[in-house]
Amino acid sequence: MFTYIRRIIRFGWQSFLREGSLNLATIFVIIVTISLFTFLFASQGIVEHLIDGIKDKIDISVYLNPESSQDEIIDARDRLSELPAVKSVTFLSNDEVLEEFRKRHVNDPVILESLEVVGSNPFYASLNIRAQNTNEYASILTLLNSATFEDVVYKVDYLEKKTVIDKLSAFIDNINSVGLVSAIILAIVSVLVAFNTIRVAIYDASREISIMRLVGSPNKFIRGPFIVQGIINGTIAAIASCLLFLLVVNILDARINDMTNGFDLKQWWVSNLSMIIVIQLASGIALGSVSSLIAIRKYLKV
Amino acid sequence: MIVFENISKIYPPDSVALENISFRVGKGEFVSIVGKSGAGKSTLIKLLLREEEPSQGKIYFDDYDILDIKISHLPYYRQRIGAVFQDYRLLNNKTVYENVAYAMEVMGGTDYEIQRDVPQLLGIVGLEDKFGNFPREISGGEKQRTAIARALAMRPDVIVADEPTGNLDPYHSKEIIDLLEKINEMGTTVILCTHDKEVINSLKRRVITFDQGELVRDEEKGRFIL
Repeated sequence: MFTYIRRIIRFGWQSFLREGSLNLATIFVIIVTISLFTFLFASQGIVEHLIDGIKDKIDISVYLNPESSQDEIIDARDRLSELPAVKSVTFLSNDEVLEEFRKRHVNDPVILESLEVVGSNPFYASLNIRAQNTNEYASILTLLNSATFEDVVYKVDYLEKKTVIDKLSAFIDNINSVGLVSAIILAIVSVLVAFNTIRVAIYDASREISIMRLVGSPNKFIRGPFIVQGIINGTIAAIASCLLFLLVVNILDARINDMTNGFDLKQWWVSNLSMIIVIQLASGIALGSVSSLIAIRKYLKV
Repeated sequence: MIVFENISKIYPPDSVALENISFRVGKGEFVSIVGKSGAGKSTLIKLLLREEEPSQGKIYFDDYDILDIKISHLPYYRQRIGAVFQDYRLLNNKTVYENVAYAMEVMGGTDYEIQRDVPQLLGIVGLEDKFGNFPREISGGEKQRTAIARALAMRPDVIVADEPTGNLDPYHSKEIIDLLEKINEMGTTVILCTHDKEVINSLKRRVITFDQGELVRDEEKGRFIL
């Protein structure tokens, strides 16, 4: 058995070394396919970053009853923070709300003058709530309207923001769906292109296969070296793709950071490196070996 | 040893390659099968190697009907037949040594046996100095001798040679035929398909003549008559 495996590996390695141009074409196509997979994986990171950016801009403000005590407010804030649907809760006192309002309208003297006319601070203290997902605001609102928070909550501005939140939720869902469908289509197309290239390469070897059969070579002895060759091609393509992406990351890091409002491609690359290497090696080896296995089947009959 | 019994081969829709062929080849015989191109010689070889199946009839190899051999066992059956062809059928990305060694490797020969036997076989066919050459680097005669060495490496019961001299000049043709005779003298059955008149007449061995798919003559010590 050991001799058998050793011979298959040797034959595969020999064919790899001696069929240079054919292997080069196969490696090139696998590099393109693996790079596409890696690009899809990276774009998922970029899209998630962009969606997080949008989500961070969405929140609801819970205006607090002016008669609520500090303890009641802290208690309400803590209970809200513990909810799994809630990402963060920020407390703003009425003075802080007033200060923020002034800053926002610093160039609008009419509004600032109207504040002077009112005389006292017209704002309520508030809790700004950010949900984990935009579609969870409705359930948070139901909770805020329940008896638990009845004494603390004066008003929630959800209805005013509902249209915007719903539109953004739909937009995010669309991005995810379109992204997923595009990724699947691209992946299928690239796998088919790679498979076809390998099929043509093996068609080229059909004469050799018929000779091997003539000499009485068992099918496993014919199939084995092609699979070994496929694994070698896939591994080399994976290593080349990894190096290629390292280069691309270094060149495009700053530009992507600007384009995506702060997505750190280099940091993403480092923190996902093990996953990227696994994806690249697995897809390279699978493409090389499985395509060879499928392509060779028809030449092994009788 | 080999029996062809009422063999016919018809390619659809109605092209008759062989029609009701029956003959037997004994162990250690040297049989030449002659005929014009298209007479059915190569079809007969394909049937014997079970690359194709007859439309009718049976082929026995050592009393076993070869049509009963399971596909998974075909390689082991083919290992008993050394095949030599006009177009050499060498593995182009392997050297002369590796082509011969390959036959032993697929049969499970040990590294020691391969290192011992391959140089001997290449010595028998006169290719001691071509071990490291690829098929593209040697002449037609040398390629055919490599193919014969590969066939011998399988230690076959039969060597089937289909037009082995078809691409060779008279000098190299004689070399190959001498080699086949030498192999036959060592006890291996040889079936030689050819349309080379000189070769057949010089052999003075059994000759079976095919014409348009039919067996028209079977003579001990025959001559090339068409």
